Amino acid sequence: MKTALLSLPSVKRIVLFGFIAFTFLPLIQMTMISFIATLPAPNVDVGSITLSNYAGIWSDPNLRAAFINSMAYVLINICITIPVAIPAAYAFSRMSFIGDKHLFLAFIAFRITPPVVLTLPVFQLFSSLGIVNSVFGIGLAHCLFNLPISIWILQGFISAIPKEMDETAFLDGYSRPQFIWKILLPQISSGVAVTAFFCFMFSWVEVVFARILTTTNGKPISMAINALFGFQTDIGLVMAVTVASILPGALLLFTMRNHLSRGFKVGQV
Amino acid sequence: MKYRDNTGWLFTLPATLVLGLVGLIPLITVINYSFFEIFILDARFWVGIEWYAEIISSGRFWASFGRSILFSILILVTQIPLGVAIALCIPRGKVWVGLTLAVIALPLLVPWNMIPSLWLSLLNPNTGILGQLFPYVGWPDDWKLSALHTWLVIIAMDVWHWTSLVVILCYSALTTIPAPQYQAAAIDSAGPWQVFRFIQLPKLRHVLLMAILLRFMDSFMIYTEAFPINAGGPDGATMFLAIDLGEEIKAFNYGPSAARSVIYFLIVLTVAWTFSKAQGRLGREDDL
Repeated sequence: MKTALLSLPSVKRIVLFGFIAFTFLPLIQMTMISFIATLPAPNVDVGSITLSNYAGIWSDPNLRAAFINSMAYVLINICITIPVAIPAAYAFSRMSFIGDKHLFLAFIAFRITPPVVLTLPVFQLFSSLGIVNSVFGIGLAHCLFNLPISIWILQGFISAIPKEMDETAFLDGYSRPQFIWKILLPQISSGVAVTAFFCFMFSWVEVVFARILTTTNGKPISMAINALFGFQTDIGLVMAVTVASILPGALLLFTMRNHLSRGFKVGQV
Repeated sequence: MKYRDNTGWLFTLPATLVLGLVGLIPLITVINYSFFEIFILDARFWVGIEWYAEIISSGRFWASFGRSILFSILILVTQIPLGVAIALCIPRGKVWVGLTLAVIALPLLVPWNMIPSLWLSLLNPNTGILGQLFPYVGWPDDWKLSALHTWLVIIAMDVWHWTSLVVILCYSALTTIPAPQYQAAAIDSAGPWQVFRFIQLPKLRHVLLMAILLRFMDSFMIYTEAFPINAGGPDGATMFLAIDLGEEIKAFNYGPSAARSVIYFLIVLTVAWTFSKAQGRLGREDDL
């Protein structure tokens, strides 16, 4: 006789743990290597456990600068994206205007356009504007994919706010911009935080624009890691830098975890 | 009902301007270049649609196109069901939800150029966790010579990298289901499958459409992650569309690479258009 050996909740638990183990596998590998000396150095034997890789990040001015550059361009990107996305998301959520669906379609098309398609002209355009080799250039270029996705996420949050709130505010004499600034924004603050987090996430890890826009200066962390690969690659250091590059995002992710779980809502136009 | 109000354009103007600068102007430049033979940017000759004809009639393009389509399909059939399944498995307790989502989302934070390195070191036969175990399950040491194994590695890598996005999207949609619906289902003694089919799945449709769009397009144009695994090999078996374009750009073939970019953008437009049609249909079904 067959009895149900596994109840549904325990199946769920096993599937979830299996997936988490799969998620952790490469991360564990990376963390392990990051604590191992992989190149001959004066005081440590190859293969021994060491903190020298992490010390190596701190003592390398290029790597330190790369961390600051990455932070800078991501912040610039968020500072451009969010203020520009909020009114657009409001319009898509609340207003029906001529061509709204087509405009939204165009925005989505830019989100899914692979950056490699636009590398050459973006480089030319930005060099004629004088913003290559600077964090500002990367921050601006990343708007290509972050802006549409931000509008999309924010639009979902705004649509969840009842429309009566707008109407009451208009009766009270607020104009639309005043309403957005004074009443709507506080209501969707968690939505803004989630959006900013997604901007951070997609921008921090991107490499195609980051590569072509920084040939001499302003290299972000991903490019600084690339520069570590060579004839004799110190893979321990590479992994240590990678671990370090994940930490800021992981910290943000941990702070944001309950907002993520409360659900950012994805709507339709 | 939405307000009928063309001031909507005013509100979308900043976004339109920014995307015009970083998206539309470069796109027009690329379209322009695609009709020229360009040695240096100041000296160019009109060649009409020659580049397009060359690309469309080349077997290499269609081979890459086929590989990219196959890759995207494989990615979708693994990541979408897996993502939905994991989202359904996430525990209900308040503390655990946040922690689980945070842990699952970690792969999204790894710089893309490091993802192949992580997987290669994982598969390293001397030091990698999997590399040391795999000989026992029949995984060959020289897996790089096998197209099948290279594909498996790239798919596993992409599943690792991106499934969490599908999970987050699906979970956020599941949280919008009001508790009374589950209670009503329990009163009707609906089984787990029926709950999924008639309560959860309808709520997931919009998000799944978005997940499918993002995952389809991003895997179709996979670039940074796929190449370093096996340099497009063995024997070109993992040369995808975007890798072809990258090679062309690295070789400074401005004209052909521009024509290729335009063709890719036309694919993007077709996909976006299909998506918006599908979205419109979902919206109408919701209204019924």
